[in-house]
Amino acid sequence: MGTMQTRTSWQVTRSVWFAMFMREAVTRTTTDRLGWFWMIAEPVAMIAILVIIRGFIDGGKLIMGASFVPWMITGMMGFYLVRDGMSRSQGAINANRALFAYRQVQPVDPVLVRVFLEGMLRTFVFLLFVLGGLLLGLDIFPDNALFALFGWISLWTLGLGLGLVISVTGTLVPETAKIINMISFPLLIISGVIMPLHILPHYLLKYLMFNPIAHGLELLRLGFFSSYKVVHGTSEIYLWLCILALNALGLLMQLRFKDRLKAQ
Amino acid sequence: MIKIQNLYKRYNSRDGTVNDWVLKNINLIIPKNMNVGLVGRNGAGKSTLLRLISGMDSPERGKVERQCRVSWPIGLSGGFQGSMTGRQNVKFVARVQGGGLNVQRIIDYVEDFADLGSAFDHPIKTYSSGMRARLNFGLSLAFDFDVYISDEAIAVGDRTFKNKASKAFKDKVGQSSLIIVSHAEGILKELCQAGIYLKNGQANWYDDVNDAIKAYHQEAHP
Repeated sequence: MGTMQTRTSWQVTRSVWFAMFMREAVTRTTTDRLGWFWMIAEPVAMIAILVIIRGFIDGGKLIMGASFVPWMITGMMGFYLVRDGMSRSQGAINANRALFAYRQVQPVDPVLVRVFLEGMLRTFVFLLFVLGGLLLGLDIFPDNALFALFGWISLWTLGLGLGLVISVTGTLVPETAKIINMISFPLLIISGVIMPLHILPHYLLKYLMFNPIAHGLELLRLGFFSSYKVVHGTSEIYLWLCILALNALGLLMQLRFKDRLKAQ
Repeated sequence: MIKIQNLYKRYNSRDGTVNDWVLKNINLIIPKNMNVGLVGRNGAGKSTLLRLISGMDSPERGKVERQCRVSWPIGLSGGFQGSMTGRQNVKFVARVQGGGLNVQRIIDYVEDFADLGSAFDHPIKTYSSGMRARLNFGLSLAFDFDVYISDEAIAVGDRTFKNKASKAFKDKVGQSSLIIVSHAEGILKELCQAGIYLKNGQANWYDDVNDAIKAYHQEAHP
């Protein structure tokens, strides 16, 4: 049957990733019938609600150098990119447990593949929103597309790092899943998705800026609106230190707990 | 050839208590082209040993050297993702094993061999254990492994499938060998030359499978 020579580790890994990607892509888009719908409806609903609220409190004037709706779309899309990296990798290992019967498949593979797939879907949805926004006459065309891309990829890798860590803790200690779901909404607020952070007093902001997501969102917005005033304290260096630390920690944990993740 | 050196394995509980060794200081050399039957009581560590040989699990101490292509443990459970159809699972495994351009040929072969009819396109979770084992068995035969590892898989299925299965293995004599766990001693005697008897975490090698079965009987009826 199959002509099979000895393969190098890299070839094996690549074929596992390919097989896993095709499998996840099919499941993601076919079994979850409303998956596509929600991916677009959730941000639309969120934006609609906030635009209505804004009519009352007029928060739009607080954002310097960008108009409210494009500002919020970019922030929300960036936030969902990170959030989905976390939430989709939580279940990645358990969902693919049966496939660890093949020694080629390692627990880290479904996590990497899911974060990649989720990011691709989110990128596509984001492009749809940008296109839709442009057709509606919003000022959402990136002023500095390369910098916006850099911000987007930073958020993507941040989601990957968080996903790598959470997939291990979520599988070994199932209670973490509850905590992650619980902090998801507060995180949306303190990351400055719907409300600009700079209206907060300095003593509070000092602590909120430990959250790397806020840095990523500000940088993404700066890529879109070149006149945008980022929140005081935004730093690429801090963001990327967090990203590298989380990714390193996540990979180490995957390596350290490999056997327990498989056996669980 | 498969070389097992100073192999130790135990499953520790999550609360940190240390359990007894399931396998204790196992040293074995399984020669090329020799079919081996594994016997022992329930819980003696037969499936654990198979998992370690196939590389699905890693030992706590010692090592397993595989100088040949070894299959996954073909058994009644595991190896398939319940929500995917039989075809999707086969496609996944074919890709993982590096099927490349042969993926379609492998799928056709498995579909024909497992002979599941329309169930091949239904989710695995709707399968009976016999259907699962047939699919798993057919799938493993689609690849040219040097050693096939079977955990109670050959004994399943109806009469026609059993005949088909043992014929498929007899066709492979000379190219590949078998390591099987089975409580059906007729199958062990028919297919295997050598035997391994597992008792209290220790493995004893017998050049003749009949001696291994005899030793096992002595434990059961002293």
